[in-house]
Amino acid sequence: MFRMILFTQWKWARAVVALGAVIAFALPVLSVGQFGREQASRWEVQAMLSSIQSWGVLYPVVAGLLALLIAVLTWSPDHRGRHVYALTLPVPRWHYVLGRFGAGALLLAAPVIALWAGALIAAAAASIPPGLQAYPTMLALRFSLAVLVAYALLFAVASATTRTAGYVLGVLAALILVEVLLSVADVNVHILGPALMRVFLWPGPLEIFTGRWMLIDV
Amino acid sequence: MSHAIDIRDLHYRAGKAFEIRDLQLRVPTGSLYGFLGPNGSGKTTTVRLLLGLLRPLRGTILVLGADVASQIPRILARTGYVPEQPHLYPTLTVGEAQRFHAAFYPTWDWAWAGELAGQFGLDRDRRLAQLSKGEMGKLEMLLALAQRPELLVLDEPTDGLDPVVRRDVLAALLDYVSQHNATVFISSHLVHELERICDWVGVMDRGRLVAELPMQSFKNGIKRLRVVNPPALPGDTPFVVLAREANAGVETWTVRGWQGPMQAYFEGVGASLREVIDLDLEEGFVELLRTFREPAPPV
Repeated sequence: MFRMILFTQWKWARAVVALGAVIAFALPVLSVGQFGREQASRWEVQAMLSSIQSWGVLYPVVAGLLALLIAVLTWSPDHRGRHVYALTLPVPRWHYVLGRFGAGALLLAAPVIALWAGALIAAAAASIPPGLQAYPTMLALRFSLAVLVAYALLFAVASATTRTAGYVLGVLAALILVEVLLSVADVNVHILGPALMRVFLWPGPLEIFTGRWMLIDV
Repeated sequence: MSHAIDIRDLHYRAGKAFEIRDLQLRVPTGSLYGFLGPNGSGKTTTVRLLLGLLRPLRGTILVLGADVASQIPRILARTGYVPEQPHLYPTLTVGEAQRFHAAFYPTWDWAWAGELAGQFGLDRDRRLAQLSKGEMGKLEMLLALAQRPELLVLDEPTDGLDPVVRRDVLAALLDYVSQHNATVFISSHLVHELERICDWVGVMDRGRLVAELPMQSFKNGIKRLRVVNPPALPGDTPFVVLAREANAGVETWTVRGWQGPMQAYFEGVGASLREVIDLDLEEGFVELLRTFREPAPPV
């Protein structure tokens, strides 16, 4: 049964998975691409770290986007059929939901593995000066955790009805609007800032997305 | 008599506009039960309640002896369902849709699925999005039948299909039922279709079950009578008067529960019965609904 759930999700999301895997593989390779195995000067080391840091911004973005697309693609065919097919299959509902979640998570393993492979190749290819260390496995683990956290959250939102998803987005939009209006009115009250701090700073659920995503670091 | 479907005191409300009240419905095991009703009468809602897609406010629904509220996966494993609207994943091919469906049903019969696919002319490699309405209807029926269900719940299964496809689909259904003694609960507003295949009939209107009886009783029981010198008030009749229409000294009565010996009633009230006219199911259905909506017979 799980095999067929995985098969359907693969059919719906294979383009995204393939593209995600290519991008995830390319990111670490490109971030060190211009720095070869020759002994690097001090200036070159700084340039390399700066380049890796710049490229590092893209890791959480890619993780979030992949999670969003896979979560949406997981549920959209069921939404289109108003969930009638899924609900008339002879399995408990939690069983079906778990199957869909597991299949999506398994598909996301492909970009994670691609990123790990890319990071290993990039670390091996780059000239790493003394005092610096490459962390390809840690980077891949961090990427996998970010993808999984974002996927779990977005999977829950995407599984809801369009109306519920609309409510969630509506509340977010309303918060942004209130923040903008308060700022225009010169009222010193902040709603979004503290809320975002709670979500993105430890022990917030999205803390994994913040901080420096570095393949090579001190 | 055992019942494949047994609904008791069911109450369901969908907003303020529509509700099903105090529904009692019993589908005998092994019967072909036609569930009739005009559009919006609550047929599809009842089907969804049967399959656990909706939750009633109160009442119990037993399907194949199990309670829908607590044992729905067990019930669905033994029930084939053809919905009103196609509900399968359009990106799959016919073959993939079968493989997906089969993975959930341990009783799936691949040999028969192949036979039905050949009989229906379904190409395994065609995507569902490319199928015509008729082909989709055939595939839905194939999936429902090849899982070898004890109960088939069909919601307007032939609505919008051309006569050839309709004949193929119904032939496959009847073939299965005759071989496996399965129960069929078929909801439709196509009265003539049900008249040919069903042995029980339930009529739904405005969220209420108006009638539930063997098809033969329904067809034979509703008659149109031409009555000369009718009494002003029918009094205590042995049959149910659904409607009376006067026309130049002769009244036409539409009655339910008619039997031959009842003509003695007319002699007793000084009237005479000139003619007894058989109604087909559609006419009987229309008269029944008319009476339900305007209960007092015109005098």
